[in-house]
Amino acid sequence: MNQADVSKLMSQLRIAVRSNKRNLKNPDGPEGRLLKLRKTVTALVKHERIELFYNRADEARGYAELLISNAIRHGDRHKATMELADYWLLEKQLVHKLFKVLVPRYENYNVSYTRMFKAPRDYPGIYYRKSVLELRGNPYPVLTQDNSQNRNLLHNVLLDEARKEFRREKLASLANKLAAETEETPKPTVEKATEV
Amino acid sequence: MNVNARFLTNRIAQQCAYKRIVTFSTKPTEQSAAAAVPQQQQQQQHDAVAPPVRKPIVPAHYRFVYPEFLPDPKVEWRNSIREKLERLDMLNRRRQIELPEFYVGSILAVTSSDPHAAGKTSRFVGICIHRERCGLRARFILRNVIDHQGIEIVYELYDPTIQKVEVLRLEKRLDDSLFYLRDALPEFSTFDEHMEAETLEEGTPVPINELKVVLRPRPWLERWERQNLRGVANIDQYLKDKHRKSSEKVQKPWEKYDLMKQYRATIPEEEQKEIFAEVHTELHTLELQRKRNKRKRTFVKPKHLA
Amino acid sequence: MATATKLYKQSWHALRQLQQYRTIASGNASASIKSRNELFNQEQKRQRDAVGRVEKIEVRYLGLPEDVTLVMNNHISTPYNCAQHLSEGHCKRSALALVDGSVPWDMHRPLQESCTLQLLNFNVSEPHVVNKAFWRTCSFMLGAALQRAFKDEARLQLHSFPGPNIKSGSFVHDIVLGAQNWEPTKAEMRAISAEMVKLAAQDLRIERLEVDKELAKEMFKDSRYKSEQLPSIAQQNQSRVTLYRLGDHIDISRGPMVASTRFLGKCTILAAHKVANEGSTDAFYRLQGVALPTGFSLNHIAYGLLEKRAQKLNSARLPNEPFEEQQQMQLS
Repeated sequence: MNQADVSKLMSQLRIAVRSNKRNLKNPDGPEGRLLKLRKTVTALVKHERIELFYNRADEARGYAELLISNAIRHGDRHKATMELADYWLLEKQLVHKLFKVLVPRYENYNVSYTRMFKAPRDYPGIYYRKSVLELRGNPYPVLTQDNSQNRNLLHNVLLDEARKEFRREKLASLANKLAAETEETPKPTVEKATEV
Repeated sequence: MNVNARFLTNRIAQQCAYKRIVTFSTKPTEQSAAAAVPQQQQQQQHDAVAPPVRKPIVPAHYRFVYPEFLPDPKVEWRNSIREKLERLDMLNRRRQIELPEFYVGSILAVTSSDPHAAGKTSRFVGICIHRERCGLRARFILRNVIDHQGIEIVYELYDPTIQKVEVLRLEKRLDDSLFYLRDALPEFSTFDEHMEAETLEEGTPVPINELKVVLRPRPWLERWERQNLRGVANIDQYLKDKHRKSSEKVQKPWEKYDLMKQYRATIPEEEQKEIFAEVHTELHTLELQRKRNKRKRTFVKPKHLA
Repeated sequence: MATATKLYKQSWHALRQLQQYRTIASGNASASIKSRNELFNQEQKRQRDAVGRVEKIEVRYLGLPEDVTLVMNNHISTPYNCAQHLSEGHCKRSALALVDGSVPWDMHRPLQESCTLQLLNFNVSEPHVVNKAFWRTCSFMLGAALQRAFKDEARLQLHSFPGPNIKSGSFVHDIVLGAQNWEPTKAEMRAISAEMVKLAAQDLRIERLEVDKELAKEMFKDSRYKSEQLPSIAQQNQSRVTLYRLGDHIDISRGPMVASTRFLGKCTILAAHKVANEGSTDAFYRLQGVALPTGFSLNHIAYGLLEKRAQKLNSARLPNEPFEEQQQMQLS
């Protein structure tokens, strides 16, 4: 039952966070781990879509999310945030990108800033799982299949037909109504028709 | 004399230090306090008609004043129902007893039931050197030197045997826990048992006492040189090169950039808001009540004496 | 290897026997199912043995990850076997094969000659063929589910199912029940839907077999409506009849169908419309449902609209209309 650290205030991540960190084995210990992740985060901010091992991607994802959320929260006038950006982005022109490109892009998002996909593992190859990590709103073509556009897919056919039938029914009921009105009071509808 | 000098340095230090260290106000500003009172009245009026659902505005300093209301961030131990029940119990307890705002470095007097003491109660005055745990298990350690003997007592904040908690001097120190007082000269943890409560003006931020303690020579209970303590004056005089080297080795300067580590150690802001929104009205009414009572007491006291 | 196959065969026979015992236990209707399955098995075995000397064919596979030429066994290898050479993913995802770029081919139907082969799933850019096969499979599965759902006392007889028409909004199976005023409750419909879901969960392979007219008549001698329909079906197809089997349910259908019941994702059976009285005690009913393939997610509001539409009586040919008219659509 430890007390939560109250000296820092962080906004909630919109991704699922593991309860504990992965050590990402390397000889330099935690510092080396962070260096690895810095490289990944830098690459992510630079290229906006990268393919790498799942574990490293999953670890780096949280850092990238927090970096962006901090940048949005405090802006580029905040010294601590600037220091953070300076530490996490190994290429310094990317600091500019973070504050001038990514912050405006993500300001009004209410979903996570990154996406992660499982990628196929080449056989035979290294046995680690692979993944694709990307920033949302990147300029590349989407990775997932867009099922909503192909009108020939089964559910789209069904929905289109349902829509057509609904329209037909609506039109038929309108026509019926008109017919009923003309039967009851022939004069006003004639006026209406002329108006139309 | 000594005390006066300390106060003076304190004041000066406060003036130059506030902005640097405390970026938030730990007390409600006058405006918000003023705004809170009409809100109360409004609520009372509304209660008569129909209670509207309105989100209470939780002051930002609540997480410092009531840290034990935030649950343990360790995911495996989270249980929203248990946490909620605990918060209810804590509020229940707070209705029975006044548990004031205090910090590590504040000087407290705790009166608790003691079956072996004369009059069945014992009162202990000391400096709070540590606060830990959360929820109903929240506890703190008081330290004092009595008859040349260092005494520390661990009190659980929501222990039903506690009868009264008084804050004699509300202040903070430079460090988050003051265990090094155990290795400091005794005068730094000696406090008068009959000390009178010092009142702070309403709305002033909690002062930070920049006092630096003087350590005894080795042997120490812990390797203080490794802990980057700010409240220790003379640590350098006891250090040899080997100590400096080893302490350099264990430093972790990268930790302040380890965002996920910090994230896993904190409760996210959105969640904090939810939690405090749940308890805010209750805590706020308790606070107001306490203020009212205090005013009454200060008004009544001279009569009794006279 | 030999011992392994022997063991496999033994266990297969044991399973068959078990199934047979189970079917024996439940009366008259199941006896006919049993004999039908036996005939099906025998014919399947006969056809496999009739292949004789194994000839090789070259199958040119077109598609991802790359175009390859596979050398397969004529009359033995199926598109599924080709998929097995490609990857597990191909085996799992492919619902239907396309031979020579135009002929839809069941995944478990042996290839007849050298050809090009494409494997289709539900996400291809032109999914008409697969969709049709899926809709047909849904009707077929509905028949199987109904047979599992109804007790013998209900005197259920499967009549037929019209050709798949996705635009009508529902798949259909026509049945004859021994009750003239059955008004199905929601719970009953849900029970039938549950049977469908169970079938999908069992991941049953859908087998195809072409038999001649006499054998088909022999197999369906207990079923009045099927034997009525058989002559005209056989007439259209040079006195051959295509049968499909799913578990122990066998039905006549032109095909093609998807490879397995696994491809049925979300499924609801929504309505049973009474079509007409049949004789003095029985009546025709038309059961309708709507389904989506696995992997297609639709929000519940949109799916609710589809469900609502599927409740209306499907306009396909009714079972009591004269049989000759249905030339082109007959048993799909």
